[in-house]
Amino acid sequence: MRSRVALRLLLHDRSSTAGSLLGVVAIVFLVGQQLSILFGLLNYMSVLVDHSGADVWITSARLRNADAGDLISGRYLERVMGLPEVQWADPLLLANGLVRTADGSFEAVRLVGLRRPRLTGGPWALAAGEGEALLDLEAVAVDRLDLGKFGNPALQRVTEINGRRVRFGAVSSGARAFQGTLVFLSLDKVKEAAATPPGRYSAILVGLKPGVDRERALARLRALLPECGVFSTPELSRRTQLYYLTNTGIGGSFGFSTSIAVLIGVVIITLTMYASVLGRTRDFAVMRALGARRRDVAVVVLCQALMVGAVGIFLGFLCLAAILNATRGSDIPSYMPASVPPLLAGITLLVSLLGSLVALRKALQADPASVFH
Amino acid sequence: MELQLEGIARDFWDGRELRRVLFPLNLSLTPGELTVLAGPSGSGKTTLLSIIGLVLRPSEGRILLDGREVTGLPDDAAATLRLSRFGFVFQQPLLIEGLTVRENLFLAVGIQGGRITAAIRGRAEELFTSLGLQGTGDMLPAMLSGGMKQRVSIARALIRNPAVILCDEPTSSLDAENGQVVMDILKRIAVEEGRLVVVVSHDARVFPYADRLVKLENGRVVADTRPLSEGAEAGA
Ligand SMILES: Nc1ncnc2c1ncn2[C@@H]1O[C@H](COP(=O)(O)OP(=O)(O)OP(=O)(O)O)[C@@H](O)[C@H]1O
Ligand SMILES: [Mg+2]
Repeated sequence: MRSRVALRLLLHDRSSTAGSLLGVVAIVFLVGQQLSILFGLLNYMSVLVDHSGADVWITSARLRNADAGDLISGRYLERVMGLPEVQWADPLLLANGLVRTADGSFEAVRLVGLRRPRLTGGPWALAAGEGEALLDLEAVAVDRLDLGKFGNPALQRVTEINGRRVRFGAVSSGARAFQGTLVFLSLDKVKEAAATPPGRYSAILVGLKPGVDRERALARLRALLPECGVFSTPELSRRTQLYYLTNTGIGGSFGFSTSIAVLIGVVIITLTMYASVLGRTRDFAVMRALGARRRDVAVVVLCQALMVGAVGIFLGFLCLAAILNATRGSDIPSYMPASVPPLLAGITLLVSLLGSLVALRKALQADPASVFH
Repeated sequence: MELQLEGIARDFWDGRELRRVLFPLNLSLTPGELTVLAGPSGSGKTTLLSIIGLVLRPSEGRILLDGREVTGLPDDAAATLRLSRFGFVFQQPLLIEGLTVRENLFLAVGIQGGRITAAIRGRAEELFTSLGLQGTGDMLPAMLSGGMKQRVSIARALIRNPAVILCDEPTSSLDAENGQVVMDILKRIAVEEGRLVVVVSHDARVFPYADRLVKLENGRVVADTRPLSEGAEAGA
């Protein structure tokens, strides 16, 4: 009966219920949308690492993020290949470059040099062209969302990177990075364009044999290459994300904006629920006189908060799904890990309860003796 | 159920001093009677009724229900006792807007989380019939007239089959005709159903229904009569 009463009161006090719902929806929608952008950006930060297909990254020592490694010797390649756990190992060479665009201006880019023919670390999804295009020394691949920066070149259009002739050979999809515009091309072309010393690479990517104990393999690699950084792919991904998150102010700014969204939501819920209880003070006093204990009044108010919370969360996620759908594939970074919605829902429900506390306090003050006056 | 008040008094803090609004009084109420508590405005009628109904604590004295002291009961225990033994009818019907008439009745049973049994549902329908409220069960209170609302509030007081019914000016918001209907019902509940009914009123039209008439003035009982059995000389 108490939950029924809670529902009836909510349905009857429509304007305050709508207000409380708005507060909950605001939290779910604003926080959810902020988080989706944040996770989208996090993905951008570690995009190369996450999609490398490697199990282990070998880099220079004391690496702070995947983009700031010193060049390491290619001799490590043979040493690594000598381990029984290792199935394959490929070098990756990162460098900076300037691409001449259609109108003669330049675009600063991040060159990702891939060793042919395996092209490990290369584009993992293509929007146009063939993967094999990059086997050609002159071919480069850029992301479809970055095409505009280069003046929307057609495939096979010729241009220059650091004065060296290259061709747009393929268009990748989903290969955008936080650190800059990614351009995939052959390792030899990067060496040539960026004039890196011969036989030196930014990283060595290692694939382990199936069924190999990863921890053991990592330990052996570390023992084998004490002068290098040896990371599992998830480890390097996390390290890179954490680096940018804490060193660019992104973490702080997203933390701030989500806190503000939660705060605004709580204030809306608090005010509207308080207003609703205020208008019902007499009813709560009547309930108390009829035999409701304080805890029964609390059950009614908290039921209301939970109902508003549940419906608001549902509506909020509808809105969120709509906007995420609408921006999918656009250049707004957005990604929602599967674990986030349940967490967001749980937190929002807690926050709804929190927002109802002031109202609860008021409802509990209802004096049964007051109904006689 | 016997209800005994022993030396009940009540003080209120009026902002400057503690003021005694009820002086120590003894009163023993018995079932099967309609007791009217009468007296001028401010004489302490509502205060006394609130103390009897366990919603207000007396400053002094003891309340005994069937010989068991209930004066210092903790809040929750008092609430549970109200729910199981007391029915209240207020000056205004004070039905809860947003709940249907039937739900308003069920609320008085299920507010502590109790289940609405088939017996309760049946009793609600019985009450609708006996109080002339047929067909109103699914209506919202706002759709009812004042007299009907007050009858619904009587139904709400009766749904748990309480031993004690306490009414504060139940007729004062009603016209003469509806007031009479309500008093007829309360009288029947007291005499035919053998309940203990207390009606606070300063409305002279209520007095003829009184089996017992207790008059308060300035917080003291100044008369305690049985006008019906004592005849005309003991009237108002
Ligand atoms: N909560 C309170 N705080 C302070 N004084 C109170 C309180 N309740 C009642 N009083 C005082 O107690 C006295 C008796 O009040 P009570 O309501 O019992 O009178 P009453 O006989 O019911 O009057 P009426 O016929 O006008 O309803 C009044 O003087 C009133 O001001
Ligand atoms: Mg009064």
